[in-house]
Amino acid sequence: MPSETCIAEAGTVTVEPDVQMVTATIDGIALEVPSGTTILEAARTIGVHIPTLCHHEDLRPAGVCRICVVGVEGMRTLQTACTTPITQPITVSTNTKAVRTARRHIVDLMLANHYGDCYACKRNNNCELQALAKEYGVDFFRFGHPTEPKYPIDRTSSAIVRDMNKCVLCRRCVRTCNEVQGVGCLTVKDRSARSQVATFGDKPLSSVVCINCGQCINRCPTGALSELDQTDEVWAMLDDPTKHVVIQTAPSPRAAIGECFGQPAGTSMTYQLNTALKRMGFDAVFDTNHSADLTILEEGTELILRLHSALVKRDNAVALPQFTSCSPGWVKYVEHFYPEMIPNLSTAKSPQQMLGALLKTYYAEKNGIDPKDMVVVALMPCTAKKFECNRPEMCDSGFKDVDFGLTTREMAKMISESGIDLPNIPKSDFEMPFQDASGAGQIFGATGGVMEAALRTVIEMVTGQKVEKFFDRANIVPVRGIEGARMAEITITEVGPVPEILKHLVPDWEWLRGVTLKVGIAHGTVNARRVVEDIKAGGPFSECHFIEFMACPGGCLGGGGQPIPTNAEIRAKRAKAIYDLDEAYAVRKSHENPIVLQLYREFLTDGPCGHQSHHLLHTSYTPRGKFIS
Amino acid sequence: MLMTGQDQEQVIINELFKSHSRQRSALIPILQALQVGHGYISEFAMQYIADCLNIHAAEVYGLATFYHFVNTRPKGKFIIRLSRDMSSMMKGAKVVARQLENDLGIRFGETTPDGMFTLEWTSCIGMNYQAPAMMVNNEVFSNLTAPRVHRIIEDCRQEFSSHRPTVGNVSETYSNTTTYSSYKVNAALTKAVTMTPAAVIAELTASGLRGRGGAGFPTGMKWGLAAAAKGDRKYIVCNADEGEPGTFKDRIILGKHADMVFEAMTVAAYVVGSREGIVYLRYEYSHLRPHLDSVLTARRQANLLGDGILGRPGFDFDIRIHMGAGAYVCGEETALIESLEGRRGEPRNRPPYPAERGFNNCPTVVNNVETLASACCILDRGAKWFASMGTDRSKGFKLFSVSGDCSHPGVYELPWGITVDQLLDTVGGKGAKAVQVGGYTGQLVPARQFDRKIAYEDLGIGGSIIIYGQDRDMLQVAENYLEFFIEESCGQCTPCRDGNVKLLEGVRLLQSGKCSNRYLNDLVSLSETIQLTSKCGLGQASPNVVVALNTHFKEEILARPVLGN
Repeated sequence: MPSETCIAEAGTVTVEPDVQMVTATIDGIALEVPSGTTILEAARTIGVHIPTLCHHEDLRPAGVCRICVVGVEGMRTLQTACTTPITQPITVSTNTKAVRTARRHIVDLMLANHYGDCYACKRNNNCELQALAKEYGVDFFRFGHPTEPKYPIDRTSSAIVRDMNKCVLCRRCVRTCNEVQGVGCLTVKDRSARSQVATFGDKPLSSVVCINCGQCINRCPTGALSELDQTDEVWAMLDDPTKHVVIQTAPSPRAAIGECFGQPAGTSMTYQLNTALKRMGFDAVFDTNHSADLTILEEGTELILRLHSALVKRDNAVALPQFTSCSPGWVKYVEHFYPEMIPNLSTAKSPQQMLGALLKTYYAEKNGIDPKDMVVVALMPCTAKKFECNRPEMCDSGFKDVDFGLTTREMAKMISESGIDLPNIPKSDFEMPFQDASGAGQIFGATGGVMEAALRTVIEMVTGQKVEKFFDRANIVPVRGIEGARMAEITITEVGPVPEILKHLVPDWEWLRGVTLKVGIAHGTVNARRVVEDIKAGGPFSECHFIEFMACPGGCLGGGGQPIPTNAEIRAKRAKAIYDLDEAYAVRKSHENPIVLQLYREFLTDGPCGHQSHHLLHTSYTPRGKFIS
Repeated sequence: MLMTGQDQEQVIINELFKSHSRQRSALIPILQALQVGHGYISEFAMQYIADCLNIHAAEVYGLATFYHFVNTRPKGKFIIRLSRDMSSMMKGAKVVARQLENDLGIRFGETTPDGMFTLEWTSCIGMNYQAPAMMVNNEVFSNLTAPRVHRIIEDCRQEFSSHRPTVGNVSETYSNTTTYSSYKVNAALTKAVTMTPAAVIAELTASGLRGRGGAGFPTGMKWGLAAAAKGDRKYIVCNADEGEPGTFKDRIILGKHADMVFEAMTVAAYVVGSREGIVYLRYEYSHLRPHLDSVLTARRQANLLGDGILGRPGFDFDIRIHMGAGAYVCGEETALIESLEGRRGEPRNRPPYPAERGFNNCPTVVNNVETLASACCILDRGAKWFASMGTDRSKGFKLFSVSGDCSHPGVYELPWGITVDQLLDTVGGKGAKAVQVGGYTGQLVPARQFDRKIAYEDLGIGGSIIIYGQDRDMLQVAENYLEFFIEESCGQCTPCRDGNVKLLEGVRLLQSGKCSNRYLNDLVSLSETIQLTSKCGLGQASPNVVVALNTHFKEEILARPVLGN
């Protein structure tokens, strides 16, 4: 084999100054890598493909599936490329008879325990096991193939379906649930060939501590985990001429659905999607960003009221910091793990639920539609939204405010079924009255986005100055980023007059002059947990006034209903798409959204946090605790 | 005051936490203690304990269902566990099993309707010398026969109604551990503290002592690595999870020479700078616990453990015993550490090795019981003496647990390098058809290879010798081995978890004459894959028997009469 030399490109593998470089030879190609680089990482820098299955960029290496085994000179057995660090010069071979045979056997063994037919599976053509079978030329089941299912399918959850017959025990879901989300709903029970991914006591998913975030689905290599598919129910509504079916779309699915149609990550499909939805038979398409703007006004006002009580009235009972409440996974997490912190949760509903309540009241009234004949569908990046819209308290319009929460993946399926070539159809606008929203609502999809949107509004309302005066192009960069838990401070140096919309709530802003507003941001529930523990221990986050929590890593754009696969790179591209769109909006602040202002004039006439908005736009929570019977 | 069942459990658990730390490593001890009084671990108890330890209930559930000796469902007052190792099978375990089933009116895996008895199979309990053997709760009964089993069950019933505890019945095991018997306790420790740690390591290295658990890692090097590793806390762990079927030499050492084991741990602590030692004792050896505790107490009183050992300020070291919970794989050192930390006993990825990052991520020395005992002799009598025995790469002597078809089973102290033939001569096993050297993970040696040497150069082993006479069926042997590995696989890696099941199915196909030669070749190839790709020694060794069957006993599988015809 010809020997080539190449140096791992900087940027592919980050080189820390004090890390030693080690020489590795992989399939005859010599390269230098920083000590501690795994064989897998090293191989990737030179384009040597090593198959993986239990490996996932977001998770710690487990080395359990063994598909990535390679030969290492001097070692009696084959080594897993994903877990073996290169700390001294080594010679690796990835293409020997032993390696090829072993990989083929491992695929054969997985197939021998994997029940189901590829063509009757949601993950057909997007399945890592299927891909491996193809890669290793599997043309018969060497060690057999199950003909009967072993386990019943768990469809009890309103968000997630578990079919353990398709599980290959890579444990990515278990590691996601524990390492990334800190929920600990999933575990491995029993041992040996009996071992199985299980919930506590093997109970149905609906009765254990699960926050429905769906991150497990996003990391499942097969069809063992999927969202509860409601597309048929939505089709039935669309096909029913007596129903007025409307849909709202959130920014994250719009930035990601293109991936299901062969587009590179980060291709926005917002306006093509509008066309597609209308062709599919939706009577109207609305932008959830409006209710995101509403959320800012409601949640922001709530924050001001809490701060006013705490700072002016010296009311110690006020729960601070205030927690955001737009991520339903996070909300359920609090209900389970920190029921004592429920008072800190903003009572403002999530944008999905706010818009639902408004559609079945304001919109219905305006258009002379009987809300009982209305069906509100929400296109969300999220599986927890399915649970959220089924909460019994979410019926403030007198009906179920949102009837169906569809994930990005379900919508992609419906579009395919309709024969629509999404990337190549003309663009069209949203429907009145929830047409053009603000860029502030748009960035709700990314971690730090809610905080940035809130700050744009709070700064302008309090100082009376344009936010651009303080932050270039209104980009509040200090709250952006990808760190799992972060803080930012903004000192209010000047105050202006109280805007009309808030005049009935506070007389002036003098009490905020010189106050340093401390805000926190956490995404990925394991980070949220860190922040809450820090607050309980009186750490730095306990001094925050307002904290944005998102259950999913990266925020909604990394949601459990988003296209598979997901990883840091894909999330970064989706985030870029979202922020780029924000900059393109004419209106980039929630309080300048003309439709929102019109709403307060026409419908929510007693203003933010007023009686009407409390009735329709705010909610209450259920302490659930961790103990189940 | 009226209390619900849950309130009562809560009170008991709170009480237990008074004597256990609120750290995850206390999880298994807490579950075991709760089980003593409560019979089993209820779902509520799992959740409450999880809450106390600030971990998830599902994690406790995952752990509890991993270990054989943690019950998540109510079981009988008497849990009867019959050993199903090959020695037991050869000595009539099946007859005993039938007697148990008939006597109790239940099948294995069931509990009598009155809640008195639960019947289960268990992996080897270290009583091969007196097979068949079983445990009734923590008590061991050996040399079982059908009438004896009947009497034991009747005794249990009577003793339960008269509130007397059932006491086990084990006869003496033949052993000739002469070197250990002649050792003068504390000779090594008193000598070691006059030497520098480096000198102790040098002595051990010069002796050529290698780990006696089976892997054969040089002991001096292991201590040296841990001594050199950075860390405020370091641990000395004694691996007393002797689970290799057919092995019982550690039981003999712990029963007769426990002082030597603790002493060597103390020397190791002196060498690497450790303050805490842990003996990981397999649950099946619970009957040794009172004896070990009393030896530890005596050593503390003699200032051989505790603060300022031997009057040397700063030499502080103590040893505690941590009970295993019924998982063979925990004999693998990283699985053992996981278990110590209160997790499922699943082997870790290596590197890092325990000497660098082990228990609680601190440098940890894990040594087998026999390794430690040998270390004492070496420090007492010198590396030269030790190295003068054995072969080039296998220095010194070794204890062998001998069972199966021979006239003198027992524990033998023999030098490395003897041939299988010589060993058979010594133990009265002449005329054997095959010998399993090194337990189920070792090599199945056919008669024509009995001139092979028992040494790391050839048949490097952990110490178990099982002798198969002329009329033993090698397919039954393979079936028994594979059933064992399947049961004891932790289940994390694909080849071991799923591959061994396919091998067992294959052996059964062979038994019924339904395995084509082509499929047999597939299975042999799969065996190689399992050996090459499994994460730990269990998986890597599990298919050995299939390879041996194909290499050495092919005539037996190809021309055998078909079952059931």
